[in-house]
Formats: sequence, structure tokens, C-alpha cells
Amino acid sequence: MKLTETKADMQGRISAVSGDNHFMNRISSIGITEGTPFQTVRNDKKMPVLVYLRETLISLNRADAERIEVEKQ
Amino acid sequence: MTGSIALLGQPNSGKSTIFNNLTGSRQHVGNWAGKTVEKNEGSFTYQGTKYTVTDLPGSYGLSGNSDEEIITTDFIKSGSSDLTVVLVDTSQLERSMFMLAEFARLDKPAVLVLNMMDIAKDMGKKVNAEALAKKLGIPVLPFNATDSRDYEKLKKLISDELKTPHRLIVPAPAEQADVKADSKSKFDWISELLSDVTKTEESVYKMSKFDRVMTRPILGKMICIGVVLVAFLVAMLIMMPFMGIGQMIPALLHDPVDKLLTGWNVHPWIVSVFSMMIPNVLYFTISMASFVFGVNIVFGFLEETGFLARAAYQFDGLLSKLGLQGKAICPMLMGFGCTIGGACGTRVMDNWGQRMLAMSIVWAIPCASIWSIIPVISGMFFTWWQTMLVCIGILLYVVVTMIIVSKVFSRKLAPVENRSGMIMELPPYHKAHWKHIIKEAFFKAWDIFKRALGTVTLVSILFYVLSFSKDGNVDNSLLYRVGTFIEPVTRFFGMGWQTFMAFVSGAFAKEAVLGTLNAVFMGNNSLMEATFFAKTAPADTALLGSVMSSAIAPAEALAFMFATTFNIPCLMALSTTYKESHSLKWTVKVALFYICNALVLSCIVYHIADLFM
Repeated sequence: MKLTETKADMQGRISAVSGDNHFMNRISSIGITEGTPFQTVRNDKKMPVLVYLRETLISLNRADAERIEVEKQ
Repeated sequence: MTGSIALLGQPNSGKSTIFNNLTGSRQHVGNWAGKTVEKNEGSFTYQGTKYTVTDLPGSYGLSGNSDEEIITTDFIKSGSSDLTVVLVDTSQLERSMFMLAEFARLDKPAVLVLNMMDIAKDMGKKVNAEALAKKLGIPVLPFNATDSRDYEKLKKLISDELKTPHRLIVPAPAEQADVKADSKSKFDWISELLSDVTKTEESVYKMSKFDRVMTRPILGKMICIGVVLVAFLVAMLIMMPFMGIGQMIPALLHDPVDKLLTGWNVHPWIVSVFSMMIPNVLYFTISMASFVFGVNIVFGFLEETGFLARAAYQFDGLLSKLGLQGKAICPMLMGFGCTIGGACGTRVMDNWGQRMLAMSIVWAIPCASIWSIIPVISGMFFTWWQTMLVCIGILLYVVVTMIIVSKVFSRKLAPVENRSGMIMELPPYHKAHWKHIIKEAFFKAWDIFKRALGTVTLVSILFYVLSFSKDGNVDNSLLYRVGTFIEPVTRFFGMGWQTFMAFVSGAFAKEAVLGTLNAVFMGNNSLMEATFFAKTAPADTALLGSVMSSAIAPAEALAFMFATTFNIPCLMALSTTYKESHSLKWTVKVALFYICNALVLSCIVYHIADLFM
């Protein structure tokens, strides 16, 4: 499922990230890479998605979060 | 003997705190050659040796193609500095080490600073710095940015390393052509390094109660707006004493200088330059600098505590529609107080194009001065409920202007493919380091003061020449002659020469509008004094009102109010935008846009209102 479809407190792993090089560079330099365990902290309509990964609380705008596939654990 | 070092680290790694504490007041802000990215340099002396410090622009990595990343990579590669100090946030060690993984490929002398050791300790995290140093082959220094003893250790380390530099002995992460594989290789490199150095406990994240409220969609937004309003008031309180001193300058200097120079038989033209214009330039620049000081203290506090990141989260969705991102919200709200504050508040944005766009959009927000003159003028022509309608109309058009500005400029400033949607960390709430915040605010204010003095003087001279008349009568000024000469044109835009003159002086300072109207309609005040003494000599609005409402039509008044509100903000805001953006070209472009926008708007409002009134 997409990161935008997850519910708060769900834990899982990032399974796939897709996008152009610019996006891939930005997203991976902040620590979002395939295989990274994460926890959705907040996911409200029309709001950025809040995820916790690599000991960091990260806010991702929805358009970018759409491009991240995750699997539940 | 001298040495040169560079600071490298991700945003929120505490880089600017360390830079400021290392260099103190010996700082210099400039531009990277040919780029619009700010270059911060400073120096410190340790045991008789002077070290220059370059604060490399903040970014999360070095592989992207942003100006910041290219500058940083080129700077390190070129060997312009003898040593790179790589900073990581120990409380988020694994993620933060990404910068070191990027740096490893450049193979240059370095030390690693484990910053925020105190926070990591509070979290119960242990890092074996010695073991890490052994693996890396470079010194590793546990660091606490608030502890002054740690700076001594850092300075000593820098001085030692310049004598016997170390490079990483661990091979750099293998390069992969594909971005995905390449980042994996870097994170694998990090995991391998940290495997027996620290333990990362996988835990369930629990949001603090406060954050749970702050991140609620509606309540959170309301809190943000409230906090920024309070912040604005606090900034005003901070600036007031300084501004009070500034305000005394024209009043204190005018008479003695006037007497002295007149006594020496100096030409009256020169006398008024020194007795009226120069003191006012000082006053303007001091108020501007004190405002920058106040805003920087408040913003510094909001940023350090982590509040700004929450506000950005709240407003990202709304602002991305304008080509901006969440971080622009605070400067925009600040703009309702003062455009200068808004313009310098855009510092929190890391992408230059989006920052310039944010400044241009902030210009559309009517500042407190406008809100203080519009009801007065409107009250001369309209009833109270019509005045309310005027204010609502202005607010609605603020949104329209923002959309137009975004449509016109975002394609160049923030093209969709370069637009960084917000990907940011929400750092844990920190205590604010007041000493650092005040110091930094002072530097910024001093910097603005020094650099704006020239710009303000130049434009003041220009306006001075235009408004000068020998006998103080408006009819003898150049502005009057030009004004009446082009009146057929300004009429088309809905303004007669008097209102047009007030419109022009409003571009200089919004407070000057009432004084100018007074001068041109009552003729008892020279235009020059009206402009330069507007804040010290308030106009008699009741009398002015009766004269004005019989002299001009309500439609013209309405057109004038809209034109003044949506014209370029004021000289000081213009000059701040130029200083903050480092781009004369863009400042002028945006200014021209606003002038055209104001005139077209005035024309439309006048001709429509003329049909009904």
C-alpha cells in the first residue's frame, strides 16, 4: 500500500520508492530508503504525512508520500 | 600563521550555533561567486594563529544538484580549506551520518563532531567515540553546543589537526550509478560503521501531549496563528526602545543643525539635506534594523524550540498551491505586522527561488501601517459599514494578488521540477539558547543597518530632489510639475495629481501618505516635511477629511486606497528584500510588477466605482 494509505501508529517497512533522481536524492538523504522500518505517526486528510524512522520524526508532503510504497509488519 | 576550516552538516545539526560561537562577531556575510546562496565566513584566533571558518550551505546530502550541494562539493574538492569539520546530530546518529558518507568520497582531511551529545544521553543512547574514531581514522569529538568548554576542545583539535591532518581510512561507500542503489550503499556503510559503536533501540514512537495538540488539523492551525501574533507583539516590544531612540534623532538634530548651517550662510538646499534628510535616513535605517533585530530574536526562538517546523507542517498543503512550502507561513503572517519582518523571516526557507517567491508574496500582505491609514482615509468618504466593506475588499484582493504573483513569478523562481515539496524533520522541542539567539539577531540587525544605509540614502536623495521647493510651497516642487504634467495619464488610472503624489510617497513610507495628502490638499505643509516628518507631525485628519471629500470623488478615493495598499510596500521593505535576496534584478522585477499591478487595479476600481457612485 501507499504511505498515504497507512493509519496512525501502523508500523512497517518502506518497500519501494520511485521518482526522478532529484526526488530520490532528497528523500534518501533524509533517510527514507527501501527496507527502512517506519511508524506512521499521523496521517490526516490534506495534511502532510508524519512518519517516524531512523529516530527522526519526518513530515512529508502528500504528493511525495504518494510515491512511497510500504508494507505492514 | 593562518589556517582555514569549513563546517559541514545537515540542517538541524547545530551548525550555525557552532559557527556563531566559534567566530563571535568576526563574521562576514556575502555571496558564493555567481550564485544567490549566502556565504557565511568568520574567523577566530587560537594561540596566536588566526583560523578562517566557512559555514558551508546546509543540505541533507551532496549528491543532489541544488546550488547548495554543488557549492559545497566544489568547495571541499578544491581544497579551499585545510580541514572539514563534519557535524552530526548524535540523537539521530544513523540518519545524520549520511553527510559523512557523502563526504567520504571526497577524501579530504576531516574531523567528526558528535553534536547534541546531551540530548542523546538524555535519550539513554551511548556512543563509543573512541571506537568510531579508530574505525574512521579521523578524530571524533563528543560535543555539546551549549558547553563553552567544548569549544576550547574543538579549537585545540582544529589546531592539532592542521599540523597533522587525518583522512578517513575506511573506504568510501561504493559508488552506484542508480540513485537508489547508491543511497543504499551509503546507509549500509553507515550501519557497518555504527554496528559495534552504538546501539539503536527500535522503539515505538509516542507523540508528546503537546505535539498531539499541535498537529491537529484545525486546532493546531489556530494555535500557530495565535503564537505568531504574540511573537509579532513581542518583536514590537523588543524594537520599541531602539526605535524610540531612532525617532528622537530627527527631532533632536533638526534645529541645532539648521541653526548652525544657516548661521554659516550655507545654501538652504544643503541645510535641509543635513537637517532634515540625513537625520531621517538614520531614523529609517535604525527602525529597520531594530525591527530586524526584534524579528530575528522571535524567529530564532521559534525556530530553535522547534515550533516553526510544526507551523510548516500545518500550512504546507495550503502554501504548496502558491508554489511555496509550509515553512513560508511564519513570514507571511509576520507580514501583517511589517513587510520588513516578513521579508527577513523568509530566512527559514532553504531554497533561494522559493524564498524570493515568498518575499514577493509577502509584499502583497498589507502591513500594520496600511491598516492604520486605510480606515482613516476611508472614514473621510464612507460610513463605517462601507469602510468595513473596503477592508474586506482589500483582504480578498490580497488573496488574488498572491495568486497572480505566484502565477507570474513561480515559473521562473520555483519551477515545478525544482519545487521542493516539504520533506522536513520535526525536531524534538529544544530549550532555546538565548545568548546565541540574541547574538545572532544583533549581527543580522547590524548587517542590515550597515548595508541599508546606502540604499536608503540614495532613494531619499532622489525623493528629496523631487519634492524640494525653495519656499516650501508644493507648487514649486519638481514632483508637482511632473505630477500635473502627467495628470492626464494618472487620471486614466483613477488618480488626480494630488492622490497620485500621495501614492508615490506611499511607496517611500506608508506613514507618509497622510502627511502628503495634508501637504497637497491643505498647502500648509511642505511636501518634503510631510514625507520626512510624517511620524513626528501627525496630520489633522478631521480638517483634511472635509477638504478632501469636497475636492475629490469617492471613486477616486477608493481607487487611491487600493492602489496604495497594493503598491510596492515601502523603501525599507524594498531595501530589505534586496539585501536578503542579494538580487537587484529580481527585486526590481517584483517592484515593477507591483507598481503595474497597483495602477491597473486603481484603474479598474475607479472606472467600476465611477459607474455606481
